[in-house]
Amino acid sequence: MADESPYKPFYSVLILAFFCSALVAGAVVGLQPKQEANRQLDRKKNILAAAGLYRQDQPIDQLFAAIETKIVELATGAYVPEDRLSPQSYNQLKAALSADMGRSLAAEEDLARIRRLEKYALVYLVKKGETVEQFILPVRGKGLWSTMFAYVAVDADLQTVRGVAFYEHGETPGLGGEVENSRWQGLWQGKKIYTETGDIGLQVVKGKAADAGNAAAYEIDGLSGATLTSQGVDHLLKFWFGDNGFKPFFQKLHQKDISNG
Amino acid sequence: MKKLSKLMEDLGRHFEKGARLERWYAVYEAIDSFLLGSNTRTTCAPHVRDGIDLKRIMSTVLIALLPCVIMALWNTGYQANSALVQLGLAAPEGWRGQIMLQVGCDPASSLSNLVHGALYFLPIYLVTMLVGSIWELIFNYLRGHEFSEAFLVTGLLFTLTLPPTIPLWQVVLGISFGVVFAKEVFGGVGRNFMNPALASRAFLYFAYPAQMTGDEVWTTVSGVSGATPLGILASAQPGQAMQSLDWSWTQAFLGTIPGSMGETSTLACLLGAVILLITRIASWRIMLAMLIGAMVCASLFWLTGDGSNPLQEVPPHWHLVLGGFAFGLVFMATDPVSAAQTATGQWLYGLLIGFLCILIRVANPAYPEGVMLAILLGNVFAPLFDFFVIEANIKRRKLRHG
Amino acid sequence: MAESTQDLLTKSILTRNPIALLVLGICSALAVTGQMATALVMAVCVTLVTAFSSLVISIVRFQIPSTVRIGIQIMVIATLVILVDQILKAFYFDLAKQLSIYVGLIITNCIVMGRAEGFAMSNPPVASFMDGIGNGLGYGFVLITVSFIRELFGSGSLFGVEILPLTSNGGWYLRNGLLVLPASAFFLIALLIWLLRTIDPNQQEKD
Repeated sequence: MADESPYKPFYSVLILAFFCSALVAGAVVGLQPKQEANRQLDRKKNILAAAGLYRQDQPIDQLFAAIETKIVELATGAYVPEDRLSPQSYNQLKAALSADMGRSLAAEEDLARIRRLEKYALVYLVKKGETVEQFILPVRGKGLWSTMFAYVAVDADLQTVRGVAFYEHGETPGLGGEVENSRWQGLWQGKKIYTETGDIGLQVVKGKAADAGNAAAYEIDGLSGATLTSQGVDHLLKFWFGDNGFKPFFQKLHQKDISNG
Repeated sequence: MKKLSKLMEDLGRHFEKGARLERWYAVYEAIDSFLLGSNTRTTCAPHVRDGIDLKRIMSTVLIALLPCVIMALWNTGYQANSALVQLGLAAPEGWRGQIMLQVGCDPASSLSNLVHGALYFLPIYLVTMLVGSIWELIFNYLRGHEFSEAFLVTGLLFTLTLPPTIPLWQVVLGISFGVVFAKEVFGGVGRNFMNPALASRAFLYFAYPAQMTGDEVWTTVSGVSGATPLGILASAQPGQAMQSLDWSWTQAFLGTIPGSMGETSTLACLLGAVILLITRIASWRIMLAMLIGAMVCASLFWLTGDGSNPLQEVPPHWHLVLGGFAFGLVFMATDPVSAAQTATGQWLYGLLIGFLCILIRVANPAYPEGVMLAILLGNVFAPLFDFFVIEANIKRRKLRHG
Repeated sequence: MAESTQDLLTKSILTRNPIALLVLGICSALAVTGQMATALVMAVCVTLVTAFSSLVISIVRFQIPSTVRIGIQIMVIATLVILVDQILKAFYFDLAKQLSIYVGLIITNCIVMGRAEGFAMSNPPVASFMDGIGNGLGYGFVLITVSFIRELFGSGSLFGVEILPLTSNGGWYLRNGLLVLPASAFFLIALLIWLLRTIDPNQQEKD
């Protein structure tokens, strides 16, 4: 190294940079499809988990074959035809942020504290033959620290919760983080959403839910030691089952039932 | 008394340097000085520039804590008895019920309240002292240090900051953590830069938050649910925070509200403060500065509240009587070992803690009981404040005298 | 300087552990030790990156101009880290999701840089490779120990298998929430250092 030419640092770095970037680029490009597939599988797994259809021993894609993905216009509740928006490529969160596909929520209507709401939402229909058994709806809302993301599965009667899966959040581990606890999520099964008057009865209470009587059908235990996360979950339910959320969609489905029957 | 003195002296020979029981000198010394008083002077930290010694300081603090202890007994019992009456029960379940059946549960009777409270307070206190002493014993034995009365204060402070419903095994874990991590690893009494009682409390706070955050039932009777006032405020609907409280300011001031055992009564803390200030053991600068800091911060929040955060609606004078603020101000922040030493440093230290504690309380919805965290943070900064104050002083003197 | 291969491998585990003695690589040791599975994967990743970066750098050490040596070391390390990260994402997606950014942050892990600059620049390839493996093992030893305690007492399980049934799942064990928080690793690492220095007083620093 005694007779280093002044150019040596430059070309040695250049040569190395060339090799390294080739390696990195090769790896990224080569593994991209596999990683994307993983991401899709993960999403499908969460959707299946909400509906209670996930089985560890069966391939996810096979299970997911029973599920049809559609897009709903939240304001009207009508399905959007596939030629206008493709469910495969539609990104709901990006849409919420864009100027033409989303809108900002005023403080008083923004119960779930998500700031911007998309005009169109994905829904997943669990089908058996031609009949729809469950609707799986993506919801989100702010807990104590973070936005929590979940899928809620609703029975075809549009009244009973079939399951829930919180799959992304940044709440305190062990407290608010217990939203991902499968035992707690199991408590959701069979709860009713709307009261007879059409209001949202489903709620996360503080402490233990009533175990008998009329209220028992609507109440879910709060997470112990995590009042504010529980409140966040409660608010996101109120929001997404309300007028700004999926309520118009449910009403539309009800009308269809009546006209069909 | 003379006989006792003679006995201890005789025994003492076995513990002198070179004697058979030399290693156990610490234990002998502890018992000897507890019974008869010590004739040695403080030679190591904490250096308090006064004729007073560590033992006298600690005894005074213990006396100053008495009002809080009495209030802790009474209020714990009062809350439990009231809840029982509300439920229409004669006595609680379990072994406490057996004893209380003899006394009778009546929230109007002070005796009943005191006894009932003691049934919760004493087990926690005894466990704290026992476990803490064992740790002290181990480290003193290994290091050949002498026992210090400081632990009597630490143990009592820790007990007073706990909710009456805490399981005893959590007390064991908490005090072990505090004594070992906040005190012994730094070299024992006087070398700790953090208040060990607070460190114990903080450990429990993070380890078992469901039991400690004031979210759960802190009244000791099962079946009655009610959070502490701060817990209620933090989760109240914006706009009606103050209406959601069932207690008046006077109640909160007197301390007849649920909460940690010794922290509820601002009045008892004030009595303690008077004793500490008259005997000049606690620094009035720290107390005043912390009060000012808290008032400034609370007023800022109160005036700028926009209806989105329920805790912003709490008027400043309410902040003083809620949670552990008063207790922290009088007994925790002023701990001479972990507080700042210089006068200017004490002002800065107090202001910082006062400001932070309201900031944590209001701006951070997860930690409404943030006084303890603010004081611990203050402890960490205290040496830094002192350092800068002394540096500035040196610089000024250099300029003046060349 | 010439140490046997065995020494290079084993000495870094106890007598000159990169975390316990040099206090390097603390950041990731706090972040990924909540569960044993993530800790193990992280340990393997760091071991691989340290070993191979040391190997590569040692092979080309006479070609590296001293003015730009740090830049070159970082380039080699960064390439390896990205490769590891991409492979994890493609084949072990669940683990990669839990490790999130911490695999990428191996680039800034001082152990890797430290061994490259401190050992590989002045030692032959095989010794450098062994040294890298040894330091990775030392790092892994601390991670596994810490994560064992944190997962067992914080989440009541080991490698995700339930050992102590949690109250939140209907069992009797009340989890220790402090151990779930990353900061608890500070205390555990401190205890470990205390233990190691009590056993081996040579590690104690002089005042």
